Amino acid sequence: MTAMICPTCGIEMNHHAEKLVYPSGPHEASSVDPVLGGMIEELYTCPRCGSGASRHAEPTRGE
Amino acid sequence: MTEPDRALFVPVLLGTVRQGRMSLPVARLLVSELSRRPGIETEMIDIARIPLPIDDAGQAIKDPTFAAQMSRADALVVVSPEYNHGYSGLLKHALDTCLEEYIHKAVGVVGVSAGPFGGTRGIQDLLPVLRELGLVAIFWDVNFSAVQTVFDEAGTLRDRAYLPRIDKFLKELVWMARTLRHGRESIALESEP
Repeated sequence: MTAMICPTCGIEMNHHAEKLVYPSGPHEASSVDPVLGGMIEELYTCPRCGSGASRHAEPTRGE
Repeated sequence: MTEPDRALFVPVLLGTVRQGRMSLPVARLLVSELSRRPGIETEMIDIARIPLPIDDAGQAIKDPTFAAQMSRADALVVVSPEYNHGYSGLLKHALDTCLEEYIHKAVGVVGVSAGPFGGTRGIQDLLPVLRELGLVAIFWDVNFSAVQTVFDEAGTLRDRAYLPRIDKFLKELVWMARTLRHGRESIALESEP
């Protein structure tokens, strides 16, 4: 997993949460994780300034 | 700035737009009590002042100012009046405009009612919503029953018994806010097994 870097402090942010969210329309259908039934939003927080960031996780493999 | 030097930001969300709302002096009281605590910054966020349309909903109508306030927040006090045995629809409308901004942050609910139950029914309905938003609810509530008798016409608290209840509520909320901030910033999810 690529590290999330705080845009303010330039240091690696802490990955502290993953939230299952559902697609808001057909344009997001390809991002749905076939195992979990939605999209995983990864949540990060900077240990220095406390600011937050997020990104969609890559879908897992349905093995 | 290191963690102990950085103040906690704990805004108070006034969860009603109704004219003549009696939740306003309640929210002001919570802001006042929070402001007296060292290491805490607070402000009142009035949902009536968040410019949200009602012909759409959810994150599509996110207000940048409200979203920035929620991003900055370490915890949230929700002042939630009970209307017809439920919480305010426009409170839900406002809350639903954010998601990632709330995750792993503490929340405490202050119920308000004109009747004897202090907003408990609205609180019980609101808790699963807060959980789904990623907020972590504390186990103390404050319940303002017969709120029309609790404050005078100037909005001054008549019943001083509320102060120690608010103190217990805020102690728990601040503890949870500090703990969750430490977790957000320092404790990573387990890596893949």
